[in-house]
This record gives sequence, C-alpha cells and structure tokens, in this order.
Amino acid sequence: MAKLNLLNKIFNTGPLILLYYLSISEVDTNLEKVFEIFTFNLPIIIIYFWILKRPSVMGTGHIFLAGLINDVVMGYPLGISSLSYLVVCFFSNYVRNKSVNTTIASDWFTFLIALIFANLLFFILLNNFSDITISYTKIGYNTFFTLFLFPILWFFFNIYHVNFIGGRDA
Amino acid sequence: MSVSRDDFSIAFRSALLQRGGAQKFSILSLIILAIFIFFLDVYGFTAVKKTRNIINDIIFRVSYIASSPSRFIPNTNKSISSHFFLKEENKKLKQVIENYKSLDLNLEYLTNENKNLRKVLDAENIDNNQKHIVLAKVLVDRNSPFLKSIIINKGTRSGIKKGMPVTQDNYLVGRIVDTNYLSSRVLLINDLNSRIPVTLDSDSTQAILTGSGTANPKLEYLPEEYEIEDEVTIFASGKDGIFIPGTPIGKTTNSSGKNSNEVKLFVDPNQLSFVTVKLVRLNKEKF
Repeated sequence: MAKLNLLNKIFNTGPLILLYYLSISEVDTNLEKVFEIFTFNLPIIIIYFWILKRPSVMGTGHIFLAGLINDVVMGYPLGISSLSYLVVCFFSNYVRNKSVNTTIASDWFTFLIALIFANLLFFILLNNFSDITISYTKIGYNTFFTLFLFPILWFFFNIYHVNFIGGRDA
Repeated sequence: MSVSRDDFSIAFRSALLQRGGAQKFSILSLIILAIFIFFLDVYGFTAVKKTRNIINDIIFRVSYIASSPSRFIPNTNKSISSHFFLKEENKKLKQVIENYKSLDLNLEYLTNENKNLRKVLDAENIDNNQKHIVLAKVLVDRNSPFLKSIIINKGTRSGIKKGMPVTQDNYLVGRIVDTNYLSSRVLLINDLNSRIPVTLDSDSTQAILTGSGTANPKLEYLPEEYEIEDEVTIFASGKDGIFIPGTPIGKTTNSSGKNSNEVKLFVDPNQLSFVTVKLVRLNKEKF
C-alpha cells in the first residue's frame, strides 16, 4: 500500500519535474537545426493542460518559480516568463471553472486565446522595457507551432493522465 | 443576462483568487509579485543586480549539471563516429600540416613586415598579449528562438567585463553582454541584437555585420551598388573600439541567391564547447 502511494506521488510529480527540467536544462524546444522555423513553447502547453485537467499536480507557486528560473537561463528580465505562465494558468483556471466537461476541440480553442494573451504580454513587456530586439516572424512561428502541436501533446498527456495519475478530471 | 454576467464574474474571480490543495498562492498575488520583480530587475537597483548575479551563478551551475544527461548521448555518438573515421582524418590532417608548413615560410616575413609598418603608422594601440586571454567553458548553450546567447564559466573574478570580444580558434563568435562573479553571458554574432563593424576585400570596404537570428548573419550598409563576391573573408574592423581589428569572422556566400549578403561563419555558434575571452583594453585613438 505504501509502495503504491509512493508510486502515485512520483507519477503525480512527473509533469512538475518536466516543467522544472525544461526551465533549467539545456534541453529546449527550439528545433531550428531540424527545420529552420520550428520552435514551440512546451512549458505553456504543460501548464495549460495540467491546470485544466489536474491542478493538484501543478502548484501556481511552482509555475512562478519555473518562470523565474527560465528567465535567468534565457537572459530575459526576471519575472517576464512567470507573468506569461501565470496568464496561461489564469485562462486555464477560468475555463475549468466555467466548463463541466471539456473536449480536445474546446481545449484547443481556449488554448489559442490563452497563448495569444500570454505571448502578447511577453513581447509587449520585452519590447518596451528591455533592450532585447525580437523578430516578429519568429514570434509568429513560435505561436503557430505551439498551437499546432497542442493536440498531439494533449493526446500524450492524456494517456499519462489516464494511466498513471487516474483519469478523472479534477 | 444578469445571471450570465454573475456567472462570468464568479468564474473570473475564482480563477484569479482561488487557493487550496496544491495552489498555495492565488494567481493574482503571484502576478503582482512577478510584476514587482520585473520592474525591480528592469530598473536595475544595485542590490537587485547583486542578488541577481548570485542567483545567476547558482542557477547556471545547476543548469550545467541538469543538462549533463542530454549532453552525454551526442558526445558518445560523436566519439564513436570519430573512432571509425580515424584513418581518413589522419590523412586529412597530414595534408593540412603540409599546407601549414608552406604557409609558415611566408608568415615570418609577413610578421616582420607588419611590425615595421605598425611602427611607421604608430598604430600599436592594441594590447594583444597572450596573458590577456581567458579560456572558458560553455556552461549553458540553450538555443532560445529569440535570443542567441551562451553562458560561460568565467566571470568578473577572472577579469571579464561587458563588451569584451569572445573567440574560438581566433575566430570571432560574440561579445560579453552580462557578467556575474563566476559566469558571463555571451551574445553570439548571429543574434538579432548583434551589430559588428567589419571590413572586407582588398579595398577594405566597410560594412556592418548584422545578426539575423538565423545561422548566417548579414552584411549591411555596404557602399551603393557594391557587388558581393563569393568566398570573400570578413574581418572585424575594430572601429567600434570593442573588437580587435583583423579578427576573422566568416566568408561571404551566395547560397541563397544572387548578390546574397549572407556571411557563413567560420565557427558554428551552436557547436561551442570552449571559447576564449580577450581581456583587451583598447586605447583611445590618438589624432
């Protein structure tokens, strides 16, 4: 019984560990070497999915901290990634409060709104309060591929959710 | 109508303020905290900067350790494949040595000539002493889609300052943009924020090498109706007082069409393991 509980705990912390690992490690989702314009934002997908499906596995404090770590590693002004992650978190929370049962299509549509708001905030702040110049086409590609890959990752996360955490929506 | 508005406001408030379970903090409080940290960092108070430097040093070290598994697999692959091509590589290296031997004969003559000309021009304004070079290891090479930079394991303790040029095998790869006590951030020359004054061809044509965010930076501000030839070597002109004049950067390439202004770099910025930081202090030019 205790072993089962420990396993459950490990599986429950899986998404959070992945989020922290993506923030702190060299592993990135910028696959320009494979395809010149291929970049996407995996942490945003992770946050949106897990806050929507199982908020108990991803505390907002952890999301905030992962954002700060990401800023340090990437060289952005501190707090900017945290803000964009928290905006996604807010949208996800809102959708969860408003809807009883969600489908992949409804999740995809609401994710689009969350992603646009999060990226908009990120780039407005970066543009106005830092010296970093950014390419607008890259932002477009990043948003597009993040949106495009959402259903695929939704599918994989859902498998993990059903098989390892317990498939009931929170 | 009013019911749906109530419903909206309840869901909205709940999404912002809800706590409980794993959610120890409300989203609103964290958003306020993030905004506070953001403005503290942007307007750079000294205490915040010092704290950030310490946090940077710690996180870069942790990041280096956390990234070691992802580095291990490509390294193993590389060492296995290099073992198989050892004989072929040996042949190529012998050829290279022969080429270098012939070049070496000219080098001494050219070095002496250069020294004499420098004396004539009184242009010895660059302290290019070998003692003023710091070898650094790349700690974090996270390929951000928006910012092309690397973290190295040497900082202000080793005498590194903002703006210092960074090279690999004497080829320019970038410059220091942020320093901590034990680490520094290097802005690579293919980043969108990078601008380097360069010189090319036998007429010493001046231009600005601008990072485009892709692998190949571009030449801008060339003379009007200038036709770029293929395979012309680009050197730093040193006109900005930051980069050492004559540091090779790359070669022009016509890969993407007619009169392409793209430059193929001598060093692939995505493949850096060790770099050298030149602790040069350029004297102001005497007029």
